[in-house]
Amino acid sequence: MAKPTTIKKLDGSLLAKLDPEGKLNIAACLQCGRCSSGCTMRTETDILPHQMNRMVMLGMEGELLGSKAIWTCASCQTCVSRCPMRVDTPALVDKLRAIAESAPEETKRIRVFNEVMLGNMRRFGRVYELGMMGVYKLKTRDFFSDLAKFPTMLRKGKMKLIPPASKGRGAVARIFDRTGGRGTPRRDANAPHSQGRASR
Amino acid sequence: MKYAFFPGCSMESTAEDFKMSTLAVAKALRIDLEEIPNWTCCGSTPAHATDALLAATLPARNLATAESMGLDVVTCCAACYSRLAAANHAIGEDPKLRADVADAIGTDFSASIRVRHFLQVLEEEIGLGEIRDSAVKDLGGLKVACYYGCLLTRPKELSILSDPENPQLMEEMLAAAGAEPVEWPYKTECCGASFSITRTDTVKRLSGDILRMAKASGADCIAVACPLCQTNLDLRQSDIEAATGEKIGMPVFFFTQLLGRALGISDAELGMGKLMTDPSTVLARLGR
Repeated sequence: MAKPTTIKKLDGSLLAKLDPEGKLNIAACLQCGRCSSGCTMRTETDILPHQMNRMVMLGMEGELLGSKAIWTCASCQTCVSRCPMRVDTPALVDKLRAIAESAPEETKRIRVFNEVMLGNMRRFGRVYELGMMGVYKLKTRDFFSDLAKFPTMLRKGKMKLIPPASKGRGAVARIFDRTGGRGTPRRDANAPHSQGRASR
Repeated sequence: MKYAFFPGCSMESTAEDFKMSTLAVAKALRIDLEEIPNWTCCGSTPAHATDALLAATLPARNLATAESMGLDVVTCCAACYSRLAAANHAIGEDPKLRADVADAIGTDFSASIRVRHFLQVLEEEIGLGEIRDSAVKDLGGLKVACYYGCLLTRPKELSILSDPENPQLMEEMLAAAGAEPVEWPYKTECCGASFSITRTDTVKRLSGDILRMAKASGADCIAVACPLCQTNLDLRQSDIEAATGEKIGMPVFFFTQLLGRALGISDAELGMGKLMTDPSTVLARLGR
């Protein structure tokens, strides 16, 4: 559940960093709480949407980047859809995730899953589920969950043994290189994004 | 009517039955869906959670191909719809983004095309009257809970529904095909979507609430228009039942499977055998 926070001083630098053009409308938040009352993840998060808006205004970067909330957000868009001021909290969450360098223990798997799925996309151009699940299981050491479902899924054709073959895969790898998107193997994590990597 | 069809990754695996039933319904209603050659993944949740430019560029590569074909894009996956439509919208509004995307994909995409969900095509181009007229085998008063989830309804700019809090589009369409949609309160709740693997307990809680509410509202089955929702409600249903010991037994159809049945298409062509929660009791009541 969300816990109360103590404010030490006001600081607009985080808002300027995340939303320099004011597109997300964060400053317009009325603190009415309509977002939080409908939040899908309200019982599992540590910061509710209206609190997150306020914390950005107050420059509480460390608290936000270290929160579970930026990872537990389901991107369901309920908060922004019901907001009387159209404050785009889900877009704010995406921006916070993009600059966060790690995730709290309980939410690490979400970040790992995102990285694994992007790596899979980069390699195959389309998602190869069986391969993605294999890598995810190796990285999280979670070998057994859902394993019992695999035979039925394979039999029903809901999971394929063979990776997808799209001639667009080389183009996707180039997009990853040129946009600086992650999804590259861990050992490449610190390599410059747009240079030195051969495109397929 | 010809469209550039974007199947999306799920349609090739977990939701192969959605692709089969969509193509069969389109053929029966004379909607020409031409698959975008060499299409690639829309980027899904991990792209927008990681990098805004990547999230616009991965869909744009496919949209640019459709634009060069001179066709609007149609997809069936609610998540792909959301990512493709968001990229189309953002690139159309932001010249700098358009230039950055052009730089990354090596071609200028001007966002001159429309991205539509297959439900919208049926609503706008076919209409309820024609669906009613084409329904050779009506759905015999089947009590169906239509479930929309998040990405067809929200955010407002991308919603395919006139009332995102209480949509009626699938209800009207399946009623035209002879079903009796139930009114129920959870039709736009979130199923837990992309947390299926990473936070399975969350998905069991959220999807379990949706399944139980559908049952309490008198539904025989659920109709969905999103492969992720279908997976969470159908594939996870046995886990949800195991957690509490209760039997739910609620078949979760893609809306195209029910529509296809009304159009006289065979269960095999609609991929009915691929559903995890056995639909045979519900289907048997409708007759052959």
